[in-house]
Amino acid sequence: MKNITVAVAGNPNSGKSTLINAIAGTNLQVGNWPGVTVEKKTALLKLENIQVNLVDLPGTYSLSPYTQEEVIARDFLVKEKPDLIIDVIDSTNLERNLYLTVQLLELDIPVVIALNIYDEAQKKGIIIDIAKLEELLGVKVIPTVATKREGIKDLLDAVKTVAVEPEKFKVKKLNYGEDIEEAIKIVEEELKIKKADLLSQYPSRWLSLKLLEGDKLVLKELNLNEDESFLKKAKHHFIEAHGDDMESLLADLRYGIANGATRDVILKDDNKRIDITEKIDRIVLNRYLGIPIFLLAMWLVFKIAFDFSKPFSDYLDSLISGPLTKWTAYALNSFGSAEWLISLVTDGVIAGVGAVLVFIPVIAVMMFIITLLEGSGYMARVAFVMDRLMHTIGLHGKSFIPMLLGFGCNVPSIYATRILETERDRKLTALLVPLMSCGARLPVYAIFIGAFFAENAPTVLWSLYLLGIVMAIVLGFILKKTLYTGFAPVFIMELPPYRMPMFRDLLVHTWQKLKHFVIKAGTYIFAVSIIMWFLLNTPYGVEKENSALGKLGKTISPVFEPLGFGTWEASSSLVAGLIAKEVVVTTMAQIYVTEEAEQKEEEKGFFEDLRDSFLSFILAIKDAFGNLISGFGIKSLALEEEEEKTPLKSKLQGIFDPLSAYTFLVFVLLYWPCVVVGIAMKQEFGSWKLYGQALLIHSILAWLVAFVIYQGGRLLGF
Amino acid sequence: MMPLTLLRNGEKGEIVDFIKKGKAIFCHLRDMGINVGKTVEVISNQSHGPILLKIDESRIAIGRGMAMKILVRRL
Repeated sequence: MKNITVAVAGNPNSGKSTLINAIAGTNLQVGNWPGVTVEKKTALLKLENIQVNLVDLPGTYSLSPYTQEEVIARDFLVKEKPDLIIDVIDSTNLERNLYLTVQLLELDIPVVIALNIYDEAQKKGIIIDIAKLEELLGVKVIPTVATKREGIKDLLDAVKTVAVEPEKFKVKKLNYGEDIEEAIKIVEEELKIKKADLLSQYPSRWLSLKLLEGDKLVLKELNLNEDESFLKKAKHHFIEAHGDDMESLLADLRYGIANGATRDVILKDDNKRIDITEKIDRIVLNRYLGIPIFLLAMWLVFKIAFDFSKPFSDYLDSLISGPLTKWTAYALNSFGSAEWLISLVTDGVIAGVGAVLVFIPVIAVMMFIITLLEGSGYMARVAFVMDRLMHTIGLHGKSFIPMLLGFGCNVPSIYATRILETERDRKLTALLVPLMSCGARLPVYAIFIGAFFAENAPTVLWSLYLLGIVMAIVLGFILKKTLYTGFAPVFIMELPPYRMPMFRDLLVHTWQKLKHFVIKAGTYIFAVSIIMWFLLNTPYGVEKENSALGKLGKTISPVFEPLGFGTWEASSSLVAGLIAKEVVVTTMAQIYVTEEAEQKEEEKGFFEDLRDSFLSFILAIKDAFGNLISGFGIKSLALEEEEEKTPLKSKLQGIFDPLSAYTFLVFVLLYWPCVVVGIAMKQEFGSWKLYGQALLIHSILAWLVAFVIYQGGRLLGF
Repeated sequence: MMPLTLLRNGEKGEIVDFIKKGKAIFCHLRDMGINVGKTVEVISNQSHGPILLKIDESRIAIGRGMAMKILVRRL
């Protein structure tokens, strides 16, 4: 069995990830590059008797050291020395893509070019002379259409050939002109004498070029100085002729080669001037229409996410709280388990984990639509449209993307801050993200709005979402003036052409986002549900008020007195909400709903239950599609008035009044971000410090705003 | 010669020079294809906020401040 490593390199938006998906399919593993928060995709493939280790490099425009991605890509290529580089090129944008190719060819690693998006180039009337391109660069060129899997087989054949007959892929040195070649020679000779060990580690041509360029990272790694005498000697007459900017000189030279090659190989270019992207951009980026169109799009996102997923959430809810709980208890009972164990499993684990699972449909649908917006190219436009607004809070347009994701779940938003360039931007954005009302807060809103504001449900709900956004602006403004002073770095962003993403890719990417949520939240909430149960049941058998949780609640309840909900029940639910905000509701349910209120279960057999749940699943699908075409309003938000009064709701009505209920919701909206967000922050920023800041800042903010609303409301006579 | 920001929607210009401040960022722009000698078309320039350029087949949005430092010749 032969083992080879293949790296996939290419510009952003060259269709690289679609190509990787087409090659690797389900074998794809997503992780991180060590020590940094840049995504790393790898796959192990078997081609006959060859084991291929496929590594996707971050999308880069060049191998210069200006961005983290570029440094990662070149470090991998230089240090791991893959057996082959698949260079993915956007056929419609040859010159800039070849600029990277020219740099890849300096590495003395065999290269195969995947001339991707070839169909679009043809459609645009661009005819590329492939044989000529192969001849000029001395590499194999394979036209591909990743979305249709065209050319994939040829690519894999090339991979096989490299493994078996590597000599067929001898890398051709591109001629950089007499002067440069002379200078390279001088450096190479010198290195051979002085640093022979280095030449076995690094590709010599690449190393020499980097030394001539004065690449700071390479110099530092080699313990060399820019003014090394042999470098001075080699650069001598360039400095006289062109000044000392060797870096720009070499860049121009590479561009020259890319430009020349592009001219030589493009036989015909009847590029029709106005393409679809331009037409859409004229409307979507219009100075007056841009923001209204975005708001409309957001409204659609919410409508689809809520309405489509509601029946599924309801279905899961009834399944978990009904048959699952019932039959688990039954099973445990028949094994003769102790009463406390049954309570732990059903009231603790199933209720706790179930509360999270119920919201997976909403989050999944929202993630799917957001992935669609990303994949289609619209998300980049949103960043463009919002750039100016974001500057008022010291960030730039790109920060808006993680914040948008936050409406689904704050956790992937924290990971999404990766698209930002500086640590300051990432942290500031991560601190604002929790103010975007995530899906987990919905169950809390739903139960309170149902109990107190049934008539004005949509208005009250929207007011909470809006308040979150307004507070994000306020907090952003404050943080910009205090903890996170400074400016957002220069806004530079490529807007990809609009493309209809492939359904399969969408599913894969949605799952990747959701997986984080399901696994992390799942395992974590599992553990914490058990802890909460113990807190509520120690010492076992006492009144809930006197349990550990009850005592904790009593101790801190005075803090909430001025906000109108200074009861131990409310306080301990809020504390429990640290785990995940929906836990506020499950804890309240555990506390308020006493045994006598529990409804009588209908006596049904196991298989009857199984059949019922299957039937109701079919019904849920029907309802989901029905909801989608339900007209302009968001149907699931108009919480049905005929909904029966659950015991929890009537209990709440006895304890809260409308003003304190609303204040409670505002507090839930704004207060400390859940622990899962904290874990994400820890992973992304390497310490708990940022989460500590978030806990402090958000708690103070929530308390102050809730105080103003409650006391203000009382003064106004509510 | 004038700053890129003075081109209106739909106008084209040839990049002539950069006012070199903060060199690294210009190298990054160059790597993205915004290079001396290239022709750019302004797709969106709205008196405030970022500018959207088209270079060959790529659309690149650049903050206004940065765009001020790119000098072009109107075509």
